[in-house]
Amino acid sequence: MEERLYDLIFITRPATPEEEIKKVISGIEHTCAEKGGKVEKTENWGTRKLAYRVKKHREGIYVHQEIRTTHGELIAELERRLRVQDVIIKYQTVRLDEDLKRQKKLGDKRALRVARRPRRAPAAPAPAPAGPEQTAAAS
Amino acid sequence: MAEEQKQTQAPGGGGPPRREGGSGGHGGPRREGGGPGGPGGGPGGPGGRPRGKRQYFRKKKVCKFCVEKMDFIDYKRPDILSQFVQERGKILPRRMTGVCSRHQRWLGVAIKRARNIALMPFAGSAAGTQAPRVVVPAAAHAALPTGAEAPKA
Repeated sequence: MEERLYDLIFITRPATPEEEIKKVISGIEHTCAEKGGKVEKTENWGTRKLAYRVKKHREGIYVHQEIRTTHGELIAELERRLRVQDVIIKYQTVRLDEDLKRQKKLGDKRALRVARRPRRAPAAPAPAPAGPEQTAAAS
Repeated sequence: MAEEQKQTQAPGGGGPPRREGGSGGHGGPRREGGGPGGPGGGPGGPGGRPRGKRQYFRKKKVCKFCVEKMDFIDYKRPDILSQFVQERGKILPRRMTGVCSRHQRWLGVAIKRARNIALMPFAGSAAGTQAPRVVVPAAAHAALPTGAEAPKA
């Protein structure tokens, strides 16, 4: 199976101590390592206001991770573990690689178009001077 | 702000909005809905347009994502997404914002993902649980890079 990139965001209770979050993160890394995946990026966004109430909380600590794996079951396993942990009030995993692939494709296309355009621009004026010369010769 | 957009576009597209004498887009007051924010009336240009057929000419709205050449709309950026929802969280229709169909599709997905992870409201929350709403979309785009780093750091 090909490699896939996933975005994982989880929100913990606002009163969670730092060590607890570290523990959750290391737990995720551990699970990834077990199942043949890799955490590529971990970002703690800190405490943010939630757009709506989640488990009676109005704010939470966001942690964002990017996970690369070839095993889809890893995500199911991660989600199961996140679900049972008390400090986590919400989580979301999103598959990113398809979007990124599309982005790359479109970007390449655009770069190609840009690269092609200057070549056409000088080509256009070239015949123009040729025209007057011919008419001059004819007259 | 929309005037700026049009001007940036003009060299590239050489487009229809460029109009002799009519000074194109200064039909500001006629804009429907005013878009996601920002009453469209820009600096009053040389408004000496002959009153006539053109009176109802409406400036063409440009897809902001196309202008910015964004091929991927990130759901983790509520600051961008919030420009395309109503105050209470409804996704604005394309006809109001001028987003092209492709980007509107991606935008919808991104907004829904953001809602799921409580970055955007499903409904309500008019009392701004978000970071302060940016009112002028063009200015917001200019300010994005700095604005986005802050919460992550």
